[in-house]
Amino acid sequence: MERRLLNTSQTFTPEAIAAIQESAELGRYSIRGFGAFRNVPRLDDLVFLTATLTRFPLEGYRERCETRTVLGTRFARKPLELSVPITVAGMSFGALSRTAKVALGRAASLVGTSTTTGDGGMLAAEREASAKLVYQCLPSRYGFSPADLKKADAIEIVVGQGAKPGGGGLLLGQKVNQVVAGMRTLPEGVDQRSPCRHPDWIGPDDLRIKIEELREATDWEIPIYVKLGATRVTDDVKLAVKAGADVIVLDGMEGGTAATQSTFQDHVGIPTLPAIVLAVEALKDMDMLGEVQLVVSGGIRSGADVAKALALGADAVSLGTATLVAMGCNKPIYVEDYEKLGTAPYHCHHCHTGLCPVGIATQDEALMARLDVDQATTHVANYLQTLVMEAQSLARACGKSDVHNLEREDLVALTLEASAMARVPLAGTQWVVGQNPL
Amino acid sequence: MLDTPAQTSVLSLDCAQLTTRELNQRLKALATEGIPAVRILNPEGRHNVAVGLTGPIQVTIEGSIGYYCGGLADGPTLEILGSSGWSLGENLMNGQILVRGNASACAAASAHGGRVIVLGNAGPRAGISLKGATLVVLGNVSYSAAFMMQAGRLIIAGDAGPNLGDSMYQGEIFVGGELTSLGADACETEITDSDWQTLEQELLPWGLDPHSRSFKKIVCAGELYHFKAKDWSKWKDAY
Ligand SMILES: Cc1cc2nc3c(=O)[nH]c(=O)nc-3n(C[C@H](O)[C@H](O)[C@H](O)COP(=O)(O)O)c2cc1C
Ligand code: SF4
Repeated sequence: MERRLLNTSQTFTPEAIAAIQESAELGRYSIRGFGAFRNVPRLDDLVFLTATLTRFPLEGYRERCETRTVLGTRFARKPLELSVPITVAGMSFGALSRTAKVALGRAASLVGTSTTTGDGGMLAAEREASAKLVYQCLPSRYGFSPADLKKADAIEIVVGQGAKPGGGGLLLGQKVNQVVAGMRTLPEGVDQRSPCRHPDWIGPDDLRIKIEELREATDWEIPIYVKLGATRVTDDVKLAVKAGADVIVLDGMEGGTAATQSTFQDHVGIPTLPAIVLAVEALKDMDMLGEVQLVVSGGIRSGADVAKALALGADAVSLGTATLVAMGCNKPIYVEDYEKLGTAPYHCHHCHTGLCPVGIATQDEALMARLDVDQATTHVANYLQTLVMEAQSLARACGKSDVHNLEREDLVALTLEASAMARVPLAGTQWVVGQNPL
Repeated sequence: MLDTPAQTSVLSLDCAQLTTRELNQRLKALATEGIPAVRILNPEGRHNVAVGLTGPIQVTIEGSIGYYCGGLADGPTLEILGSSGWSLGENLMNGQILVRGNASACAAASAHGGRVIVLGNAGPRAGISLKGATLVVLGNVSYSAAFMMQAGRLIIAGDAGPNLGDSMYQGEIFVGGELTSLGADACETEITDSDWQTLEQELLPWGLDPHSRSFKKIVCAGELYHFKAKDWSKWKDAY
């Protein structure tokens, strides 16, 4: 056979060519789900220095390693007490099916943690399924009601999301069926675009008053989180703390989404790794470390990711995409339906279409029937438990009797970038890039 | 501080002697007890008064009030004998809020139900993201009123500033005075007999005969309901 040499432009890559031609045909930007595609410095670029002769490990199957996590201790009378440092992130009913929301709630309850509503309001079935439910207050305020507020275990004011800090929500018409439209007070089938700014406040001074309003409405009982997409993390964290947040939820650029302009997902915000470090430093600067808790999200997949986030100073992590994957997103079943979407298992990012082959990111009853709620619940719970066990095993190996005792000193970096961003030494050296001389 | 002034049998709460927390706790307790009416003295621009208040209690605020007055409330009747700060009646579910003076920005933001009446003028973004409530402004409104409105009714007896009804989804807007400009996807439609009846119902109680003005009705054209290439210029230039 004739051997041909195919040259690929590093500027006009096949992806760039496809993107240009898609815009040319559509006449608009591409919208997709799943979060950033590009490679960024990530927690994978860090490794633990576990115990050997200089540190003593804890016995893996015998000695306790605490995982209890309390969020919202600053002002709330009823902070959220979680059994594990892993929570389920806000994903809207509308983006996700009712059954997927219920499975997430049940799974979170089984492992003793919280789940979160999303853009579109609180689903009664979700409230029932979730022992602890965080109620999002988003710019759109779809379905936001004081009655649901009183049923919430915490409030999360969404200022931004890692996949699109500075951008508003999108839900394409295929998913805006009668129920979703009813909950959101929208015309059925509309391509819903939601605002990026809150309707009733602008800027941190107003946010302080908004937070007081929500506290007054809930009698200062439940914690108030402020969720930020990671951009100018240092200032944003300080302003949110000053405005009175109990908990900062920080979503890095890897953070998932159900539908966002691709251009936002790959070109906006900073990765989760540097975001955690900046947030911890900002809290330290304000002497608020431990008083205001930090929850981080964006690309968390494994117990190692969890342990590293905690070692860098986070109090908990929050998971979106990975929980969907645990319940079957991108699983190699119904392959022909992935093909109809022009994709394949392991490559699907088509949540925006509403035609999710595995019945998770859809409002179509026939597709939804593909998701077995009991099995989805078990799988998500199993997965979350596995993450906890992995994080515990790393913590024990580092000699820690509590996962929260993991510390930066337990880590080194494998790349120059990660060393600079995490402020930990490059493996095999004493050199913290950007901090001390070589 | 709970006292019963000699000249009236209505209970009063004095902001000068109560924190916001105490004030709202008292108000909620009085509403729960079924007390019909209460006066709030010396409001002096206090924020977050009567937030999350439920039930049919009647509250008269004797002065000007700060942000979020009546926010997240469900059922009370509030009367403000002065002007109000930002986000008056934000996310109101039911009940009525009357402001005798002016209302600052974002009056009735995202309000789902009930009625907010401003006898003076309203600032920018009045009725933003309105979700079913009625907002009546006897005077003028500033820019971007009813931005992204979803349902409900905004009645402006005076003039409307630029970009009225920008990106609204549904609902209706009436303007009795000058209309500076319409926002993206808002359009004028014919005003019907039943609209005039509505206007009479909403305005006559405040001493204004709608027929003394040339009201226009604004609704959503629905041209931005779907992302389409042909709408490029609208998306590009949308305010
Ligand atoms: C399907 C889906 C829907 C989402 N909907 C919302 C939402 O309604 N509100 C919100 O604040 N974030 C939303 N997010 C973002 C998540 O809350 C979270 O920030 C993100 O998923 C974390 O990153 P990860 O997916 O890599 O774990 C959504 C994410 C996904 C995957
Ligand atoms: S499989 Fe479903 S949930 Fe997963 S990316 Fe595709 S559409 Fe989204």
